[in-house]
Amino acid sequence: MHPPVALYIHVPFCAARCPYCDFNTCAGLEALFEPYAAALVAEIRRAGAALNRPSARTIFIGGGTPTALPPALLARVLAACRGAFEVATDAEITGEANPGTVDQARFAALREMEVNRLSMGVQSFDDGELRWLGRIHTAEEAVTAFAAARAAGFDNINLDFIFGLPNQDPATWDRTLAQAIDLGPEHLSLYSLTVEDGTPLADQVRRGFIPKPDDDLAADLYLAACETLAAAGYVQYEISNWARGISESANQRISESQIRNSQSAIRNQCRHNLVYWRRELYLGFGAGAHSFAGERRWWNVRSVPAYIQRIGGGKSPEAGRETIERRLAMGETLMLGLRLVTEGVPDARFEARFGVGLDAAFGPQIRRLVAQGLLERLPDRVRLTPTARLLGNRVFAEFLPGE
Amino acid sequence: MDQQDIRNFCIIAHIDHGKSTLADRMLQITGTISERGMMAQVLDTMDLEREKGVTIKASAVRMNYRAGDGKVYELNLIDTPGHVDFAYEVSRALQACEGAILVVDASQGVEAQTLANLYLAMGNDLEIIPVVNKIDLVSAQPDAVAEEIDEILGVPAADVLRISAKDGANVPALLEAVVARVPPPRGQRHQPLRALIFDSHYDAYKGVIAYVRVVDGSIETGQALRLMSIELRIEPIEIGIFSPNMTPTGRLEAGEVGYVATGLKTVSDCRVGDTVTWDGNPADRPLPGYTPMKPMVFASAYPSEAGDYIALREALARLQLNDASLTYQPESSQALGYGFRCGFLGLFHMEIIQERLEREYDLDLVFTAPSVEYEVTKTDGSEIVIDSPVELPEETAIREIREPWVRIDVFTPTEFIGPVMDLVTNRRGQFKAQEYLDQRRVLLSYDIPLVEILTDFYNELKARTRGYASLDYHFNEYRPADMVRLDVLLNKEPVDALSMIVHRDQIHIKGQKLVSKLKDVIPRQQFDVPIQAAVGSKIVSRANVKAVRKDVLAKCYGGDITRKRKLLEKQKAGKKRMKMIGSVQIPQEAFMTILKLDEE
Ligand SMILES: Nc1nc2c(ncn2[C@@H]2O[C@H](COP(=O)(O)OP(=O)(O)OP(=O)(O)O)[C@@H](O)[C@H]2O)c(=O)[nH]1
Ligand code: SF4
Ligand SMILES: [Mg+2]
Repeated sequence: MHPPVALYIHVPFCAARCPYCDFNTCAGLEALFEPYAAALVAEIRRAGAALNRPSARTIFIGGGTPTALPPALLARVLAACRGAFEVATDAEITGEANPGTVDQARFAALREMEVNRLSMGVQSFDDGELRWLGRIHTAEEAVTAFAAARAAGFDNINLDFIFGLPNQDPATWDRTLAQAIDLGPEHLSLYSLTVEDGTPLADQVRRGFIPKPDDDLAADLYLAACETLAAAGYVQYEISNWARGISESANQRISESQIRNSQSAIRNQCRHNLVYWRRELYLGFGAGAHSFAGERRWWNVRSVPAYIQRIGGGKSPEAGRETIERRLAMGETLMLGLRLVTEGVPDARFEARFGVGLDAAFGPQIRRLVAQGLLERLPDRVRLTPTARLLGNRVFAEFLPGE
Repeated sequence: MDQQDIRNFCIIAHIDHGKSTLADRMLQITGTISERGMMAQVLDTMDLEREKGVTIKASAVRMNYRAGDGKVYELNLIDTPGHVDFAYEVSRALQACEGAILVVDASQGVEAQTLANLYLAMGNDLEIIPVVNKIDLVSAQPDAVAEEIDEILGVPAADVLRISAKDGANVPALLEAVVARVPPPRGQRHQPLRALIFDSHYDAYKGVIAYVRVVDGSIETGQALRLMSIELRIEPIEIGIFSPNMTPTGRLEAGEVGYVATGLKTVSDCRVGDTVTWDGNPADRPLPGYTPMKPMVFASAYPSEAGDYIALREALARLQLNDASLTYQPESSQALGYGFRCGFLGLFHMEIIQERLEREYDLDLVFTAPSVEYEVTKTDGSEIVIDSPVELPEETAIREIREPWVRIDVFTPTEFIGPVMDLVTNRRGQFKAQEYLDQRRVLLSYDIPLVEILTDFYNELKARTRGYASLDYHFNEYRPADMVRLDVLLNKEPVDALSMIVHRDQIHIKGQKLVSKLKDVIPRQQFDVPIQAAVGSKIVSRANVKAVRKDVLAKCYGGDITRKRKLLEKQKAGKKRMKMIGSVQIPQEAFMTILKLDEE
């Protein structure tokens, strides 16, 4: 029996391209919707058959903007998943949605195909910032979309936000957070704006038209968010992710221990993303999608037409692969696992996987980082100290090769 | 081959006037390199040379040439570098030749190293064949340039060959001129062997390879040889020529140029300038050899990882084989551990050595800022020479410090006299002489402290003359100077490797610039790092590197973990090039900031 897997489905289409985004996505490819969906279906079927229809615990339809795709096509893709994999009855099935491409009918359609978790890229509740980010929706549209999703029956919703825009006013960030808390989603993801190579934003920064985002400002905004969200009952479980604790009393102050024990906070974590951080199996389908199994990682061709062509021609869409030797696998386990700020990397799990203890594998690194105040060595696990949540790279790099 | 049919010559010129390109054409015309093996500046074989488009090492090559008289001649060509820092390469090459082709760019005219190299060649009594090159250029002014040549060399302008090394125009005529005008070597074939080692390199299999010009006698495989200066017997494992790759021939005769694979593993045994003779029947007297060059600039090289010290020592020894002008001595630093104090002929030379060490020997190094050599008279009357700031005695123990001054010759179009004058006097320079080459161009001579031309002088000169000026310099004399040591403290700890010697009048300006530059290059650490510049116990300026607040990748997207990891690995590799001093990480750049203090 193949162990259960997580499925990722990539939808590389957007209504318009945001200037900061370096995801594999394109605008204006409507003509390819149909053939792309067909290719996805074929790739999913092939993979399921090759592995003898293993069970799937989570499905994540990401993008791009999955909701850019007509619901009927998405439904076909999901149906293919259910045909090719044994999708558990309690599986988490997430769909990403852009507040500018959804309405009540669209949400109803998603519910119909048993998508049970929604992730919306709201980014900000300030229209000025939204325009700066090149988003196609307004703050009000995001609020409306959220209400529509609730009305359609979604009881597990994530909202994405971006902070650290150049010269961002902390007061605006506070207002965005307050409004987010007001809506009371089950999950929040806060990402600091990163200038990614090759994006229009990077170009503008390089030419000096736009100031470079300031890390100090981002740090302040991040710490402010940690505080605000904790007070509102959101439990931070990953560097950029928060799950709502006690759902009924989101606006009430509750004690730290209450939150820690809160079953709802654990329930509200994104199970699909946990798979990445715990370095478990996942299969990615679609253009540029990545997969990981055993000690092998591989990825598909990024170009949508090339992907469709390869699948259509019965060929593998794989564009590259790497085999991860043991030492690197151990390092990756820490690089990923330490992102989970409370869970960290448990000794038991590490040892079960590699047959050697954390201290035997990384004793000097752990001691050094503990001395620097970046790592906590608990009896049963290691995890980042609160300071290190902003300095993660310094910690992760220690465990990677290249000394 | 009969010596009558041998011609040994080199190609000399100012930088970029087309020496290596001319060598290309000659190799092509003589069929030494097949069309397929041809590429631009084929003799520039080092990666660095190809990247920078500059010749760094002289290279020798043998060609067989059927001349107009129907006879086949053996031509030994040495292509030389044009950059002022590599004049030593030129002077060694000259001793292996009887003639020199002096190349002058038709669009640039005579420049500083045209003259400098010409004088070197005349000092060696070589037959000089001047040519105007690049006549294919639209901006070429062959007549005017030929006039300039007439001016400096007394060769009637009409007799100066005009060529294009690029398209080959008149290069056959030049080969004929080489055969007709360069005298054949006049060695004594029946005397005991005397061969001059004019260059060398290290080969992992064949040991030290000595590049030789055979003056008297001959070398044959199987014959034991002797290095005269240390009376060491060697049994060569291969004798051959460069064509242009090493090609065994088993024999070299008087007048010829080639190589001897000595089999020596002890790199220091084989010195450039030494004479090779027969072990059985040695020559009475060695050849004159070379006067070693005096390094002008000094800097320290430290391995980033202490464990690489031995590897660095070995690398320096091997590099010195291939670059006899490099000097080095072990030293230690509180901040950097064990390393070497190296001497260079100039900054470009230093840069090249640094890059060669890192690339050819795969070392990660930290180089300190360059310094010049000072003479110090102590209050007790004793005299010392120092080339490193840390060696400077306490102020109270010093009676006088003297710094090196150089004579510089600047060639420039006349309209830039003002700006050049300005630049030089701003840097303590003193005007000496001015000489018009013709109506457009003038040669300006100044005396100036060497330290003033080290940092960015050349770039400034180029900038102020729209690239037209060229520069040559020679050591002149030591003169008293009021110098003090400016120290740097990081996190309150002095970092010896960042100290510099500065003029007392410049303490505040340099101190301020130094701390603010350091502030820019020292990455933010987990804690605040104060930077201070001090003279003795007096702090003259300060700055602060604030603690880093955020260093974390936000998003782990769609399972693309490979990319994430690669980013981290790259970040880590960047850190590797840093040096831990106390608890502060300092990038290699920091040690070089002193170089850029004069830039705005
Ligand atoms: N148009 C034209 N360009 C030439 C000619 N000869 C050389 N060049 C160009 O001039 C540049 C310098 O040529 P090199 O042959 O590298 O000059 P060099 O004298 O060997 O330079 P260094 O060794 O660095 O001193 C190159 O870009 C050549 O292509 C020529 O006859 N005509
Ligand atoms: S909507 Fe999302 S995926 Fe599409 S371009 Fe904007 S940020 Fe990128
Ligand atoms: Mg050259």
